[in-house]
Amino acid sequence: MQTVTGRHTVAGVDIGGTFTDFVGFNSASGELVVTKARTTPRELTVGILDCVRKSGISLAALETLFHGSTLVINAIIERTGARTGLVTTRGFRDILEIGRGNRPDNYDIFYQKPAPFVPREWRFEVGERLACDGAVVTPLSVADLDRVIEAARAQDLQALAVCFLHAYANAAHEESAREHLQAALPGVYVCTSSEVSREWREFERTSTTVLNAFVGPKVEQYVSRLEAVAAAGGFAGRLYLMQSSGGVMTTARAKRYPVAMVESGPVAGMIGAAHVGSLIGANLVIGFDMGGTTAKASLIEDGTPKITQTYYVNGYVRGHPLQVPTIEIVEVGTGGGSLAWIDDLGALKVGPRSAGAEPGPVCFASGGTEPTVTDANVILGRINAERYLGGEMALDVAAARASILSKVAIPLGLSLDDAAAGILTIANSNMALAVRGITIEKGVDPRQATMVAFGGGGPLQAVAIARDIGIPRVLIPTLPSCFSALGMLLADVRHDLVRTHVRAFPPEDTADLNRIFDELRSEGIARLAAAGIAGADIDCACSLDLRYMGQQWTLTTPIGAERVADEACAQIRQAFNRLYEARFGHSFADIRTEVVNLRVVASGRRPKPGFPRLACRAHGAPAYLTRRVHVDGLGHVECPVFRREDLLALDRIVGPALVEEGNATTVLGEGDALEVTEHGFLLIQVKGRE
Amino acid sequence: MMNKNSASGNAAKAKPITAASAEAAHERVDPITLEVVRNGLVALVVEMTENLIRTAYSPIAAEIKDFSIGLLDAAGDAIAQAPDGVPMFCADLNTAIKKGLVLFKDEGFQPGDIILSNDTETNGQHVNNMVAYAPIFAEGVLLAFAAVRSHWIDVGGMAVGSIANNSRDVFSEGIQLPFVKVYRAGVPDEGLLRIIRTNTRFPELVMGDMRAQISACRLGERRFLDLIGRYRRETVMACIRRIWDEAEVLARRAVERIPDGVYEASCRMDNDGLTLDSPIPLKVKITVAGSDMSIDFSGMSPQVAGPYNSRASETIARVGFKCVTTPHLPTNEGAFRNLKIISPEGTILKAHPNAPMSLFNMAVVSTIDLILRALHPALPECITAGNSDNIGLSNLIGIDPRTGKLFQTFVPYIGGWGARPSGDGTNAVVSLAQGDVRFLPVEVHETVDPVRVREFALRPDSGGAGTWRGGLGVVFVREVLTHCSYNGRYERTLDPPWGFDGGKPGEITRTSVVRAGEGREAALPLKCEDFALEEGDIECLHTAGGGGFGPPWARDSEHVRRDVVGGYVSLGAAREQYGVALDPLTFAVDQAATLNLREAMRHASGD
Repeated sequence: MQTVTGRHTVAGVDIGGTFTDFVGFNSASGELVVTKARTTPRELTVGILDCVRKSGISLAALETLFHGSTLVINAIIERTGARTGLVTTRGFRDILEIGRGNRPDNYDIFYQKPAPFVPREWRFEVGERLACDGAVVTPLSVADLDRVIEAARAQDLQALAVCFLHAYANAAHEESAREHLQAALPGVYVCTSSEVSREWREFERTSTTVLNAFVGPKVEQYVSRLEAVAAAGGFAGRLYLMQSSGGVMTTARAKRYPVAMVESGPVAGMIGAAHVGSLIGANLVIGFDMGGTTAKASLIEDGTPKITQTYYVNGYVRGHPLQVPTIEIVEVGTGGGSLAWIDDLGALKVGPRSAGAEPGPVCFASGGTEPTVTDANVILGRINAERYLGGEMALDVAAARASILSKVAIPLGLSLDDAAAGILTIANSNMALAVRGITIEKGVDPRQATMVAFGGGGPLQAVAIARDIGIPRVLIPTLPSCFSALGMLLADVRHDLVRTHVRAFPPEDTADLNRIFDELRSEGIARLAAAGIAGADIDCACSLDLRYMGQQWTLTTPIGAERVADEACAQIRQAFNRLYEARFGHSFADIRTEVVNLRVVASGRRPKPGFPRLACRAHGAPAYLTRRVHVDGLGHVECPVFRREDLLALDRIVGPALVEEGNATTVLGEGDALEVTEHGFLLIQVKGRE
Repeated sequence: MMNKNSASGNAAKAKPITAASAEAAHERVDPITLEVVRNGLVALVVEMTENLIRTAYSPIAAEIKDFSIGLLDAAGDAIAQAPDGVPMFCADLNTAIKKGLVLFKDEGFQPGDIILSNDTETNGQHVNNMVAYAPIFAEGVLLAFAAVRSHWIDVGGMAVGSIANNSRDVFSEGIQLPFVKVYRAGVPDEGLLRIIRTNTRFPELVMGDMRAQISACRLGERRFLDLIGRYRRETVMACIRRIWDEAEVLARRAVERIPDGVYEASCRMDNDGLTLDSPIPLKVKITVAGSDMSIDFSGMSPQVAGPYNSRASETIARVGFKCVTTPHLPTNEGAFRNLKIISPEGTILKAHPNAPMSLFNMAVVSTIDLILRALHPALPECITAGNSDNIGLSNLIGIDPRTGKLFQTFVPYIGGWGARPSGDGTNAVVSLAQGDVRFLPVEVHETVDPVRVREFALRPDSGGAGTWRGGLGVVFVREVLTHCSYNGRYERTLDPPWGFDGGKPGEITRTSVVRAGEGREAALPLKCEDFALEEGDIECLHTAGGGGFGPPWARDSEHVRRDVVGGYVSLGAAREQYGVALDPLTFAVDQAATLNLREAMRHASGD
């Protein structure tokens, strides 16, 4: 990754709840540097600078810095954003509060909708109305806007979201309103629905716009501060922020579109999983990320993670919709910190309650008394109590043992080992639900898939889960425990543009479609150019969301070109039928179709750090020690334990065996066969599932 | 509070109710295998659901969740039900299996059989709802059934779609297939398939949906056999019995909390759509004895001439029971062992199988709400006040001038939820029967139908006043952009959503029309068929609010002030209903005036 400035290093920083992870990669030397520091919630840049300092990399040497953070999701969950007002079409200020009127918790008569982010008295209606085709029915009332300005001043509002009906079809009223409001309220963060999403469904779009405004001032301030702090440290490279779509954006764009950063951490790992999957030639990849409180799974086909166009912050049942393209992640509340407990009917449960970072598992000896999945791994010898976090932390095995004995084994009449192994079996069974959710339940055959497992716990449990579901191969990538930070280095700059335009397809005339595609493409290209992407590295993928007339399902159908040629309509229609067939098992040649949305994904390719190739050994085998480890089906055995840094390309290990590295341990069951790939990944053939 | 009988004092058939005794009663099950099997059963019904949604030809399954999917044991008791369907179908597949067991007593079942039924006697709803089920055998023993009921888009009858507005008996609603084997040992009955194909207006969609149901049943069969292959039949069945027992313990504990006694509630539905001045009395009687509950529908109105009948009393009782006992537990038969349902033939909830049923769900929601109402005195902390209890907005039917094609609107009703014992009611939600059914976005509505929505807002002052206020209904004002017919379906205006403990009832549903050019509001019937609207006419709908909880004069005056600031309650209502005097400009509470107003109210209420 040579650059003219002589800066050779790219780095990713991922701010999590407890730790800030930093991964630096020197493209000249091929060297990877990993550091970790405590997250510093009051001033997040302190944690970042700590990481950089520990890494020994100078900010001045950085060509690019990628950044993801929990700032946005925390501001939403903790409701610590701006005093935000909402401006709507007359008659519709309650859209935000009414939502869709559904009660997703079927039998809970106490179900409550989540409270809106803008109280009713800060929701202002103005005279204006568009028809569904964008035609003006009622012109915008400037007098009404002036009343909004007065109220915003009186209430000392810090942000204003503007969302008018059918603004996806015509942004003019929103644009005029924004100009008028911004001119009168220079210090207020004003954003419109048409700049965040030009897709229909007024509640979802209003919710997106409001959340963007709600976090806007905070993110604007944070990103500016980060720019200043980095510049003061000599940084003169590019700073990119991770989006939920798996792409990155510039700081300028992030300040206008902060709501795109909601899932910036978790998706980076899936981008990494997609990349390493492609490197080993796997077409169907399951990204599996097991952390302290949850496990997450995503499906990746042909190197591309599956994207959902509507995402719910805080879950579907009690969350807020965002029309923000987001890598589809199925999550379950089971992780290393999940508590094992016996319910009042005498059944053993694992999670969803978690010991979290505080007090943590019993073996951390920081006040935890309830046994966790990590404690079970420790007493079974699967986690090395002497080398935890590379030896930075001593684990209290006796306390973990006493806790599982008294809280689980004795009440259930089990031996200590059976209780601990049972905790892991139940945890795996829970986590398997997430993996099933993206594969078997969607009609995807796991027997064709490769699971790329990461996160602190992924390498410990992945092989057992794969065996349970029937996945034949598991891959443990480089640096599995800070894979999200590593994944950022592999991201492209990306802008997703959408426009709702409901018409019969094929249309009588393709001019309208092509005009919109041209607009979306030139906007995408302009944004990429602003990010410094050269024309040759720009790629615009154009697609149409099509559906059969009378259905609500749409399928995003690539058009395979930049514009829709008249003669291509029939092929696009056939491509839609094929997609429908693949997903639903049948299609209809004789039902008319219509287009709902036009989409353009504008990507700016970035050079990817290459994983350096490992040497091989001509003969001999890697060195190992042995340790007593409880292995499924064998009980306690003397188990070979390898150090990952000792492994070379094409080394082979047959389980039972453990491979230990800084913050992770890979567990092989009896007969599982590991081979080290040329890039240093651990590729495991799962016994019985080959 | 009455003294609670001890469990041992109850009828001999009462089950053990403490965890310890339940533990002793069921077989020893390995706790780890139990959790894995529990996850396996959930995964099985979820996978069946996804499979149905993925392969069904018509979009109804995916879009309005009009399905019921389950795994049942050899006796027809629910092992697991898919969590994704609407709440109205609560563990309601059992009757189809149990009746099948009787009908096929001599012939028996074989692996590869598929039984179809939409028989109204057992199904109890409109004939579009068709169940398909497959027996599951292991080692030659009938162990279970996988069943999928789904709404077929058309089963013949007088109306396209088979839901006639003006049917007067079931025969005009479509063809019935009462427990027929469409596959015998894996071999299709071609004659029967021809009958089905011939009796629908959309044979491709209907046959596709039927295949999707069958494929989901077969998948359920395979997955259940996988589970048995991995953990052995005896173990899996023991886990299932244990899961039932656990559910029973929880359901019994919940009923144990309810003081023994007889609890009754009644209300009136407005009419049956034919005789408009004749209200329909609904009444439930609930008897709680120890950990057992019985729900008695003997006091229900006799069946009616209009299409408001059903035979859904079993699922209605189960929905109400589940809401107060195990709302978050995955649905299975064990959770209903302590529920007895008394439902004599001939009532609106157990009408003759030939009675018209196309709008059956109106009585369903009011009855579920009545079950809750009856239990309120017994469970004052656990029941919300009355809900709006309506199902759908008016249907508009006409020709869309933009396309020249027929259009028909389908929009669910949303209204206020009753106040909680310690919180305000939820604003603007669907009924007790609908769960995750979503309102149609205005932008989508205007694109697919020739209408323009003028206003869609919360309806101020519609929530019943109370210490805790009822949820607000909505104002939905819709201009029609072409001549069309209006079909009203609104109910429960005689008996508004009730308040509890001195809380006031919610406002009732109101409709009116502003005729194009006249600018004057005129009456629009709540219930009607084919009322003509002209281009430019504006339909104004005000949906009902929920009932209040506790006396309004006891509401924290700060909450009243905030309601007025937000416009949920008007200044006038704050004074008249809540006794809170506010400065009309600053909204500051006038403490002295408020004290006087409230003292008078308290006095007037006799407290």
